[in-house]
Amino acid sequence: MLDPNQQFRGGVFHHSIPDGRIGAEIRITPSEIIAEPSAEALSAMDPSEVARLPRWVIPLSECQVDLGGASGRMVFCRNKERDLTIFCEERGFAAMLGDRSGGRISEQLHLVRERQAGENHRFRFWLAVGAAGTLLFGVIGYYSVLAAARFAIAAVPISMDEKIGSMAMQTIEKEKKLSADHPATKFTTEIVDRLKPHAAIPEMNFKVIVIDSSEVNAFALPGGQMVVYTGLLKKAESGEQIAGVLAHEMSHATLRHGLQRVSQSLGIVAAIQFLIGDAGGLLALGSQAAQTSILTSYSRQSETEADLEGARMLHEAGLDPESISEFFDKLKKEDGDIPGVLVWVSSHPLHEQRIESIAKFKSTLGKKEYSSLDLDLETVKKSLE
Amino acid sequence: MQYDLVCRPASTAVRFALDAGDSITCEVGAMIAMSSGITVETTSKSRGGGGGIMKGIKRMFTGENFFLNHFTAQQSNQTLLIGPTMIGDCIHHPLRSGSMVVQGSSWLASSSSIDIDATWRGFTSAIFSGESMFWVKCLGTGDLFLSSYGAIYPIQVDGEYTVDTGHIVAFEDTLQFKIGKAGKSLVGSFLGGEGLVCKFQGQGKLYCQSHNPPSLGKLLGPKLKPR
Repeated sequence: MLDPNQQFRGGVFHHSIPDGRIGAEIRITPSEIIAEPSAEALSAMDPSEVARLPRWVIPLSECQVDLGGASGRMVFCRNKERDLTIFCEERGFAAMLGDRSGGRISEQLHLVRERQAGENHRFRFWLAVGAAGTLLFGVIGYYSVLAAARFAIAAVPISMDEKIGSMAMQTIEKEKKLSADHPATKFTTEIVDRLKPHAAIPEMNFKVIVIDSSEVNAFALPGGQMVVYTGLLKKAESGEQIAGVLAHEMSHATLRHGLQRVSQSLGIVAAIQFLIGDAGGLLALGSQAAQTSILTSYSRQSETEADLEGARMLHEAGLDPESISEFFDKLKKEDGDIPGVLVWVSSHPLHEQRIESIAKFKSTLGKKEYSSLDLDLETVKKSLE
Repeated sequence: MQYDLVCRPASTAVRFALDAGDSITCEVGAMIAMSSGITVETTSKSRGGGGGIMKGIKRMFTGENFFLNHFTAQQSNQTLLIGPTMIGDCIHHPLRSGSMVVQGSSWLASSSSIDIDATWRGFTSAIFSGESMFWVKCLGTGDLFLSSYGAIYPIQVDGEYTVDTGHIVAFEDTLQFKIGKAGKSLVGSFLGGEGLVCKFQGQGKLYCQSHNPPSLGKLLGPKLKPR
């Protein structure tokens, strides 16, 4: 129920007021909106100014209303000349105006609300369109850069891979490197030598070093340099399993995944430099990125490519392509729940899918009698104890 | 209480001359120096006001501190000197009625009769304009001191007025604030480097700052070495 004598707190804009605005007490009579300066406002003013202040009146019949203010709910009443504004945000003010004007002002307010809602909807719609467009542009841009980098890498000479690989190699701990005549180094070198003729780039300068560490890990750097940890050799059951790991790593080098990583992590600048053939700039960028963590953490797509290329190499070399899946399946089953130990497997996601894709690929290679490597892994393991 | 804006306009500080019993509420960390006859009380609510913890939490969302410092002179002839974090100007705004909506970091100090609360400005403005989701709402009558990054300038809006995001210091409650595009087309607005802007509608006072902190961050950020 509306109280006809209710007073509302609000304010007035008029040129007669110092600063143009004053806090006011507002009443709505059946024919007028009347505003008088509030006690608080008067107390802050000079007494001589107070005496000059009038009472502000807007006849309801000529009142134009609008909604706005910081909250969006403030009601503004203006006279016909639009030089006097009485505003109020209190509850019940709009309802009282509607009631006293016989519904005319309620109708005006309804139209204002509808107009504002329409504007908001239009703006939100165009913002959503803009956001979707930006996202689409970003996705297309990202894949274009990837495609451009792949295309450009093909044009970069292998010597560039070797330079970047050598720079990265310098950062790897050399103290625990086993000597060239250590049985473990000889063993892995022998396997690499057998696989080399079947690599996609046979003239690549493949080299392997063994590092004394309990970590079960192996990785390849651009240009064909590889690192195998003794922890991995100790875990393997056969020479074929190690051949599987090395074939996979050699494939990362021949497929030039390291360079792709550099180009992706350095973004579009590097991609453009690849394209225009600015080798000096590329080398400088490569040296910045010459950290094994960047060069050897590949995408899922790169891992799958290296699996299949490795499987092809093993097949050509007369070894069973499934020895690769056999090895990491064994690791996962035995020690899969020990975190941190199995670096090599944990960096290679989606286990079951990979085993499946290798098996599928093997079936397309044609039948072949696979032989064993005829290398003595047990002697190597003993030398590591 | 009397005040004086010193070292204007580049490194402005506010100097208060307080009589016994005079009290002023300041942003945490704003005090530069004070006389020995002033006591400091730290609470999460306005002096004599309610709210407490909830108001403190709401204030934190605006970028202000959970706590407020109330400085009260115990003797006459006391001096209190306060200053903002960013280099720039300060301004005095007499709040006589209604409320003032202030951008998070711009509120510096106010009379203890003014209530310092937070007000919701909406997701759209936060996500697309880079402005905060919550703003400080100063309600009551008394003196309000605002700070800016760079120079501060008042505008008496009557109708429509556009300000780039990050340049708003404060505006009166009679002004409506919406996010809109700078030019006619959205793409053109972005290509022109203005992106989305803040559009004010209505009648009332608006304070803007000549510089904006996010632009400084964008300029300096990439040049800093990672730690």
